[in-house]
This record gives sequence, C-alpha cells and structure tokens, in this order.
Amino acid sequence: MSFLHLSFYSTFTLSSLGLAFHRTHLISALLCLESMMLSLYIALSMWPVQTLTTSPTLMPILMLAFSACEAGAGLAILVASTRTHGSDHLHNLNLLQC
Amino acid sequence: MDLSLILTMSMLLTMATLTTPLLLPLLTKHYQNSPHTITKTVKTSFMISLIPMTIFIYLGLENITICWKWKFITNFKIPLSLKMDQYSLMFFPIALFVTWSILQFATWYMASEPQITKFFSYLLTFLIAMLILTIANNMFLLFIGWEGVGIMSFLLIGWWHGRAEANTSALQAVLYNRIGDIGLILCLAWLASTMNSWEMQQTPSTNHIPLLPLLGLILAATGKSAQFGLHPWLPAAMEGPTPVSALLHSSTMVVAGIFLLIRSHPMLQNNPTALTLCLCLGALSTLFAATCALTQNDIKKIIAFSTSSQLGLMMVTIGLNLPQLAFLHISTHAFFKAMLFLCSGSIIHNLNGEQDIRKMGGLQKILPTTTSCLTIGNLALMGTPFLAGFYSKDLIIESMSTSYLNTWALLLTLLATSFTATYSLRMSLLVQTGHTRMPSIMPINENNPTLTTPITRLALGSITAGLLITSYILPAKTPPMTMPILTKTTAIIISIAGIILALELSKMTQLLTKPKQNPLLNFSMTLGYFNHLTHRSNSTKLLNTGQKIASHLIDLCWYKKMGPEGLATLQLEATKTSSTLHTGLIKTYLGSFALSIIILLITSSH
Repeated sequence: MSFLHLSFYSTFTLSSLGLAFHRTHLISALLCLESMMLSLYIALSMWPVQTLTTSPTLMPILMLAFSACEAGAGLAILVASTRTHGSDHLHNLNLLQC
Repeated sequence: MDLSLILTMSMLLTMATLTTPLLLPLLTKHYQNSPHTITKTVKTSFMISLIPMTIFIYLGLENITICWKWKFITNFKIPLSLKMDQYSLMFFPIALFVTWSILQFATWYMASEPQITKFFSYLLTFLIAMLILTIANNMFLLFIGWEGVGIMSFLLIGWWHGRAEANTSALQAVLYNRIGDIGLILCLAWLASTMNSWEMQQTPSTNHIPLLPLLGLILAATGKSAQFGLHPWLPAAMEGPTPVSALLHSSTMVVAGIFLLIRSHPMLQNNPTALTLCLCLGALSTLFAATCALTQNDIKKIIAFSTSSQLGLMMVTIGLNLPQLAFLHISTHAFFKAMLFLCSGSIIHNLNGEQDIRKMGGLQKILPTTTSCLTIGNLALMGTPFLAGFYSKDLIIESMSTSYLNTWALLLTLLATSFTATYSLRMSLLVQTGHTRMPSIMPINENNPTLTTPITRLALGSITAGLLITSYILPAKTPPMTMPILTKTTAIIISIAGIILALELSKMTQLLTKPKQNPLLNFSMTLGYFNHLTHRSNSTKLLNTGQKIASHLIDLCWYKKMGPEGLATLQLEATKTSSTLHTGLIKTYLGSFALSIIILLITSSH
C-alpha cells in the first residue's frame, strides 16, 4: 500500500493497542481514543483526494462532530469518576465485577 | 410271518412297557407305583427286548421306523425316526438287564429311604431317556435323549440334597455336560445348514466333511464321557447313591458320548485329523484316570476312575476307526462295572457307611458272595483271558499294536492297562485280604436275596457276555489275525507286570514305614492338580470379563466418561475456564478488544 495508507493504518493500530494496554489511568485510554479518531479523520480526508470526487468531502466534518461528542462523554465519565473515587484509575470502574 | 413287523413292534412294546409306571399314576387314582412294580416292569421289558435281539442275531434284520414328521419350517422336516440296527438292538437287552439287577439291588440298598418310589421313578425316567438316545435315528431325537440323561443325572447325583458336596457335584456334572452340549449344538447347526436334515443316513461318508462339526462331536463326547479336560465331574458324581453310580456313571450315561461317536462314525472315518484327535485324547484320558486311581482311598472313587479309564480306552478305539469294537467294549464293560459298583454298595452298607478302603480288610470270610463277585469283576476289568473284558479289551490292544498309529498313544494305553491291573489288585487286597481294620462289632449280613441275586446275575453276565456276543455278532472289519507272539500277548504281559507291582507294593506297606511325600504321589492324589488350577481361575476370569463389559465398559465408561455425563463434564471445564474472563473489570474487555485488533491485522494483511 502506499505510504499514506501505511501511516494512518499504523496510527490506528498503535492507538488501539495503546487503548487496550494502558491499564492504569482512564485519561490515557481517552487520549488513545483521540488519536484513533485523528487517524480516522485523516483517512476520511484522503478519500476525496484519492478518488477526485467532491461528495465525500463532508464526511470528515461529520466524524469530527461525533468524536467531539464522544470525547465530551469520556471526559464527563473521567470527571465523575474523579469526583467519586478521588482518582481516575481504571480499576475503579468495577461495579459489574462478580 | 413278517419278522420286520415283529421286530418293530417288540421294540416299541419295550419302550411302552417302560413308560407305563410313569404314566399310569397320572391317569388313574387306583394305581400307585412301588419299587417292586418298577423292578418287575423293567424285568418284563428286558424279556420283551430279547425278542428283537434274537431276530437280529438269527437273521441280521435291521429296521428303520418313521412314526411322525414334525414340520418344523418349510423344507426342514424332523421325522420321529427310530433306528433298530445292531447297536440299538444289542444295547437294549444289555441295558435293561443291568438296570433290572440294579433296581433289584436298590430295593435293598435304599430300603430306609422315605421317597424310594420317587427315586425309582427317576431311575426309570433316566433309563427311558437313555434308550431314546440309543434308538434315535436323527440327531434331534438323540439330543432329546442326551439332555434327558443330563438332567436326570443332575437330579440323581444330588439326591441327598441336604449334603453340600452332593449339590456341588451335581452342579459340576451339569456344567461340564453343558460345555459338551455346545459342541453337539454346533454339529446340529452345521448339519442343518449344510445337509438340511438331521438324519444319520443323510450325512455323506465319501466326501470330506470339514473339521468343525467333527470337533463339535468330539467336544460333546469329551463332556459327556468325561475325557481329559472335562473330566472332574465323574469322580465327584460318586456323591450320589450307589445305584445311581452303578447305572449312570458306569454303564449307560457316560457311554452316551462314545455312542454318539459310534453313530456318527461315517462322518469321522474319512477325516484323519479327527481320528487322531480321538486317539490322543482317549490315550491321555485313560492314562490320567488310571494314574489318579492309584492313590485313591475311597472305594467308589477307585471304581469311578476305572470307568473314566475305560471310557478313554473306548475313545482310543474310535480313534482307531473301529466303532463296532468300541460298542463291544461298552457292552462287556456295562456288566462288570455295574457289578463292581453293586459289590461296593453292599460293602459300604454292611460296614455302616464306611467307604475308605484303609478301614476295610479281611472281608473275604465275612462277605463271601460279595467279595467273590468283586474278584470276578476286577479280573474281568483287567482283561483276564476268557472273561468278558478279555474279548473286547484284548482285541483293542491287539488292534492298536498292529496299526499304523501314534506311538505315544500306544504307550500311554499300555501303561494305563498295567495301571488298571495295579489299582484293581490294590483295591481287592486292601478290601478283602489281610487283617480287618474296621470297628469290632459290625452288623454284617449279606443273606438277603435281593442283595445277592442281582450281584450273582451280573457275575454270570461278566463271565459269559463276551463269549456270547462275539460268537453271535460278526465283526464288520477284519480283525488282525496274525501277529508276533509278543504283540499277541502284550496285554497279558503288562497286566501281569501290573499285578506283580501291586503285590510288591502291598508287601512294602506292611514292612516299611510310610514314605514321605514326593511329587508323583502328590500329582496322583490331587488328581493332577486339575481341579485346583481350573475351577477357580476359569470362573473368576469369566466373571471378571463379564463385569468389565457389563459394568465398567457400559456404565462407567460410556455413561460417565463419554456419554451424557462426559459431555456435562466437558462443558463444565470450558465454562470454568471462560468464567475467569467474565470478571467485570475493564481490563478484560480492553484485552478482548486488543485481541480483535490483532485478528484484524492478521486476516487483512494480504
């Protein structure tokens, strides 16, 4: 694949692995989510450049809106967790533990 | 005068006379049996059966009668056909004569028995079954007689069923006979599937019969006639009353196996493997039984082992392809063996139940008739010239010595013949001669005519039967006429050697101290360790295998490990493993997320 594809492909993969393996703080997971979103944004932006059509130009903006909502929701969870448990450690989220 | 009709009718009348005491009490209330009436019935049957025998001797007339056809399935009809040939026509009078004498003796022997009539009816039923076996022309009728004698043997051996040893002996007899019956059923099945008939005439004698049905027949004879391998039941059967031993286990039932081989001789004669098997099996049986008889101390067991030894000799004769000679030996053997048993019964009763020959002695002056007949019987058994046993036994030994056969079998038989002389003489010496070793005051009395008449009658038979039968019946195969003197006198010489040995040994017992145990003595006393080795191991092996298959394989393995419960256990394992993942912590879910990513990487990297 071309160098461009490789770049956002690997960014996405590394971010998702980072999401999976950052086990201590919730904020590192959220940061990885943001970088996943970034790589998706760049990938979506490359689409009209590669196919030379103008219709898909709207898609990155839509995705950005949704990711902003999602980041807001994640930060709200972070704040709520900090307010109740005093820190943002991931092992605080254990209400479903058997 | 239609003699064929007279032949058939007199034979059927004999059988009908015998069944009368069994059927009449069921039909009318007035007629009740008693031992006296049953004895008279058998005597009448004997007289009637002399008619067909005389016709046969005079004319050589044989007959086959078909009474009824049982249409079993299509294309396979089982006729009720009776064959009156040399064997059955000669066997009927002999068996009836011996049975008459035994029944007369039993009126004295079992006089204190409360159920004596039932005993006599059992003996009569046995006799009828044996005669059915003899007169049968097809294997089905023979099988009916075969099973009949087996069942009656069981009932009669366990007559005193309060005694534990009698029960085990009866059970042993039935089990060993059953193993032989498997062979007979095998032969029946082969005949039904190949020849489509169970008639004796339709079995081919010219082309070769495969070995399997013949092996079945030999197995049946081994079981019924107590050849080596299925022999322990015969000495154990001495638990029954002496009339039972005299009738069943000396003259009639145990020769049923040999009789089967005589009847199916056309099948056997062309198969050298089967004949050699008979020869070697018979030789082994005769020597084994004679060896075991050397160290027995129970008078009935000595006679039982001598029966077993003579049966082995009959098997050897079958192996020599001489069925008529085997039948001659059956006929002469019946007389002196029954007489030996009756004499032993008289001695046992007179000594108030003492059966150990070490506790008898000097009876010659006290029981003259009985001991004289015992001596006659022993001499006939040894093959003393011109008594009954000589005509058959000497002829067998001569034929063996002049045939082209296995030397090992010949040597074993000769050794067994000399052992026969040895143990017979030992028994006679210990019972009749010397000082008395029994308790002082014994009510010994043999003046009862119901005791002495049958014994003397059988003694007359033992002396003259051989001469009479061989004078009137022509041999089917040419007997050997010329042979070297040493071969001709082989039987006599080795019997005399056995007698000298017995005399020397009997002197030793009074002059020297009792010898210590040695392996040969132990081998002979424990009957070759056969009972100890096989009775426990075979049954535990069978039962273990049965338990493995029925319980372990099916219940434990199929149900618990592989079937329903096994599936449940497997699921449980999988559930336990996967429930460690369902902890409710985010780490686990993130981990599964990573796993999905890796799978995505791998599968899309092309």
